[in-house]
Amino acid sequence: MSLHKTTNFFLLIVLLAAFSACKKVIKVDLNSSLARYVVQGNVTDVAGTYTVTITKTINFDQDNIFPAVSGAMVVITDATAGVTDTLAETLPGNYTTHVLVGTPGHTYKLYVNAANNVFTATSTMPPLVTLDSLYTKPSPFGGSHPQLVPVYTDPALVGVHYHYYHFMEYKNDTASDNVIVRNDALINGRVVNQPIGGDQLSPGDSVAVYLECIDSSVYQYYSTLQQTNNQNSATPANPLTNLTGGALGYFSAHTSSVKSLIVRP
Amino acid sequence: MNNPIKIVIALMVLLLPGALKAQTKFSISGTIKDKKTGEALIGATVKVADKPAIGTATNEYGFYSLTLPAGTYKLLVEYVGYKQQELQVSPDKKSGFDVALVPEETQLNAVTISSKVNMVTSAQMGMEKLDIKEINAVPVIFGERDVLKTIQLLPGVQSVSDGNSGFYVRGGAADQNLILLDDAVVYNPSHLLGFFSTFNSDAIKDVTLYKGTAPAQFGGRLSSVLDVKMNDGNDQSYHVSGGIGLIASKLEVEGPIQKDEGSFLVTARRTYADVFLKLSHDTTLKKSSLYFYDLNAKLNYKLGKKDRIYLSGYFGQDDLGLGGLFGLNYGNATGTLRWNHIFNDKLFSNTSLIYSDYDYNIGINTGGISANIQSIIRDWNLKEELEYFANPSNSIRFGFSSVYHTIEPGNITGTGITNSTQPDNHSLENAVYITDSWKASSRLNVDYGIRVSAFSVMGGANLYDLNPDGTVRDTIHAGNGQIEQTYVVPEPRVSASYTLNDVSSLKLGYARNAQYMHLISNSTTTNPTDKWVGSDNNIKPEIADQGTLGYFHSFKNDDYELSAETYFKYMQHQIDYRDGANVFDNTPLDSKLLYGDGRSYGLELYFKKKVGKFTGWISYTLSRSEIQMLGVNNNNWYASRQDHTHDFSVVGIYKLNKKWTVSSDFVFYTGGAATFPSGKYEVNGQTVFYYTSRDGYRMPNYNRLDLSFTKQLKPHKKYTSELVYSLYNAYGRENPYIINFRQDPNDASKTQAVQYSLFRWVPSISYNFKF
Repeated sequence: MSLHKTTNFFLLIVLLAAFSACKKVIKVDLNSSLARYVVQGNVTDVAGTYTVTITKTINFDQDNIFPAVSGAMVVITDATAGVTDTLAETLPGNYTTHVLVGTPGHTYKLYVNAANNVFTATSTMPPLVTLDSLYTKPSPFGGSHPQLVPVYTDPALVGVHYHYYHFMEYKNDTASDNVIVRNDALINGRVVNQPIGGDQLSPGDSVAVYLECIDSSVYQYYSTLQQTNNQNSATPANPLTNLTGGALGYFSAHTSSVKSLIVRP
Repeated sequence: MNNPIKIVIALMVLLLPGALKAQTKFSISGTIKDKKTGEALIGATVKVADKPAIGTATNEYGFYSLTLPAGTYKLLVEYVGYKQQELQVSPDKKSGFDVALVPEETQLNAVTISSKVNMVTSAQMGMEKLDIKEINAVPVIFGERDVLKTIQLLPGVQSVSDGNSGFYVRGGAADQNLILLDDAVVYNPSHLLGFFSTFNSDAIKDVTLYKGTAPAQFGGRLSSVLDVKMNDGNDQSYHVSGGIGLIASKLEVEGPIQKDEGSFLVTARRTYADVFLKLSHDTTLKKSSLYFYDLNAKLNYKLGKKDRIYLSGYFGQDDLGLGGLFGLNYGNATGTLRWNHIFNDKLFSNTSLIYSDYDYNIGINTGGISANIQSIIRDWNLKEELEYFANPSNSIRFGFSSVYHTIEPGNITGTGITNSTQPDNHSLENAVYITDSWKASSRLNVDYGIRVSAFSVMGGANLYDLNPDGTVRDTIHAGNGQIEQTYVVPEPRVSASYTLNDVSSLKLGYARNAQYMHLISNSTTTNPTDKWVGSDNNIKPEIADQGTLGYFHSFKNDDYELSAETYFKYMQHQIDYRDGANVFDNTPLDSKLLYGDGRSYGLELYFKKKVGKFTGWISYTLSRSEIQMLGVNNNNWYASRQDHTHDFSVVGIYKLNKKWTVSSDFVFYTGGAATFPSGKYEVNGQTVFYYTSRDGYRMPNYNRLDLSFTKQLKPHKKYTSELVYSLYNAYGRENPYIINFRQDPNDASKTQAVQYSLFRWVPSISYNFKF
């Protein structure tokens, strides 16, 4: 449960709405920054190829065209099975696997060498938890936008072996900008049917929700990414990554389970 | 801990010989109060008519003691806004030294705003006293008179954000202010997300702010002490007063329990901001609740000539709710039981038992889960203070204070979830102190003393041995009642004034303060759910050393006052969050923190007109405050959020005629340091902002003008009333509250900065009455 987010969200709506806040776009003179590497890599338990993307940061006032980094050497090793896969650059900045098969319980190591900058990361794929169902229900606040409820059963484990979840929500094939993560610290071993706060839904929308079981370092990445995006801390900062070597981004080995529906009137 | 006590005893012994030389002298003592209300007058002066240099002033309870060479004297008893009274004394007169002063007619055209302490001769530095009349005249947001917002107009004091009652003093953080209500610590001094202070100004008698240079009887916070005293209640006759405003209403009842012997006072206040939410078109807001209330009560009773008992309490509660799905309640409760005892003409004792509590409760009810998060901080404090008026040149205060802190760090319980509870934290904060006000010569006054504080971490809760990256290496657990660690900090304090001539003086001061309780916050403004934590094996006591130098000048028979003060402050063991720390999960808080030092220096100029139809002040502060955190910004010094280079305020109060008073204030300050992104990148198809430094940017400058018009309505026999019209932010400046960065909603290829501002042209009207 992300209580902190709830509190801040609540405080913010009260502040901004109750005191009829004024909002305007302003020009802020922001410094330029040295370009940094951004690495994003996923290995899942779904058969097929897996992709690592390498790009660079740009200045705030530039257009959203993020330079692809070509010619890098990218290797993913399944440390559990002892399989090494050197990825091929299939599109500028996009590197794809050949032989790797994502398997729960296996540990994967990423190695990237881009112009002699070396970045590495390790991620272990947790056991699979499947989505039991997905449904919508009316919002308790009223209005015509329903809430989305993915249902799953958290495996009961004694001790501090947390499960970490990441949800990807697609509305009409577009990924939601909301970062949704959960752990089972307070819901260990229960059937979970808490709504997720993604995009606003309307009748007719086609919605798909992916439930991903992620490891603790990727959970830390997503939950700090959520803080970065929310911008409600006094000192926003870059998300905590599991990559070493100074790159932004993450490397995640995770399971994936999907359900979809069309929102009824 | 032995050594500091020895030092204190040695100091006391050193001071005593002065007292023993007084054979040919005699002492008198008494109390000074307001004749109409019976309220004890704080800081009223008693001096010899033909030798005004010989004199004294009343303490916080209206008590004074004066030692004179044998002889007959005419004494003058004076207090700003009251008629002077004479008092004949001689060695054979044994009683009759209690004085009741008569207030001057308030219908006079002149308004006198006080400075009850003669700032030229007093050794005390960095001190501001505000009169309630002054506070009531300054325009404020929503027309709700507010102590905390008025002190923000003083030099060296800055607002946390627009309309907020949180404040920074001389570059210190908001949790470094010791806020006391009748000696009880108020842990959260604000209501409704910071827009109202917990202090109902109707119940308040006296407000004193010490900017890090407080005398040794105060301790526990680095940057300031705000000492708020409640009214005692009228012991002559019954009165009811109150006010009706757009956003809040209040009522006060006071009267004698037995005339001249004791009195009571009860005030209550409630806001009804949520009524406006019901008018909103937004369905979420319509189902919300948003209000606070608070109660102040005080009783006092004389038990014979030498004893007096006081009982005072405060209770306040905020209630924010969102249609049964989400609720946030929080509030303070304080209680003070005090016993004043006069041992003899020279020795005054004050014993207090003080309770203070702050708690918050978050309730969530969604998706079959009903959860409750509760956190409490609770103090019991036993305090003893003795004031010994040793001789005409020395008056000594000494005593101790012992506080037992209990913190419930935030237990999560409910249905549909696994409960998560942590053991309570207990700690003991003790202090002994002694301080002497010494009139060294006719020109030199010195206040010097020492406070020795000790903080003991008690067993029961887990302590953590941490690796340099903050991860837990080992968990240490000691049993309940065991002392795990004790910190001792000697805190010397000295300040001296040297009078250059009748109207000007130079002052010099040094003070050390230690702080053992810390508010861990990562929000831009005061947040009710920020956590208080005590020092432990990782969180060291914060320590500040401050040196000050000042020049004071009064003009035209003390009608005008000018002061210039400079300060330099060095703060050790400051605390901040690590990047990405999550405040609300129940993992060890210690592992989420960073430590460092702070430094702050500045010049404060203050010019005040105290008497006449037109009164007011101008204050200007030029300052810098920086921090160095291990692990932030490559360990370089950087400007802190409290760093506002220029801070300028003007307050003017003009009494037009018997009916109308106009007042206005203007504020300008340099925007504080803020963290903005310096770049962006893309992950999972989403644009993410890239940050290169903490607090590396500045918010835009802030400025605002407020106006207020008070109309005195026709007085009836026993009934007086007034109407107050006020306009906050009169020229509608859009001062930024937050600046956010986002994707341009109209152009997928661009990003933009968006400024949110809260208050423009906030008009209000309120009606106040008294009978």
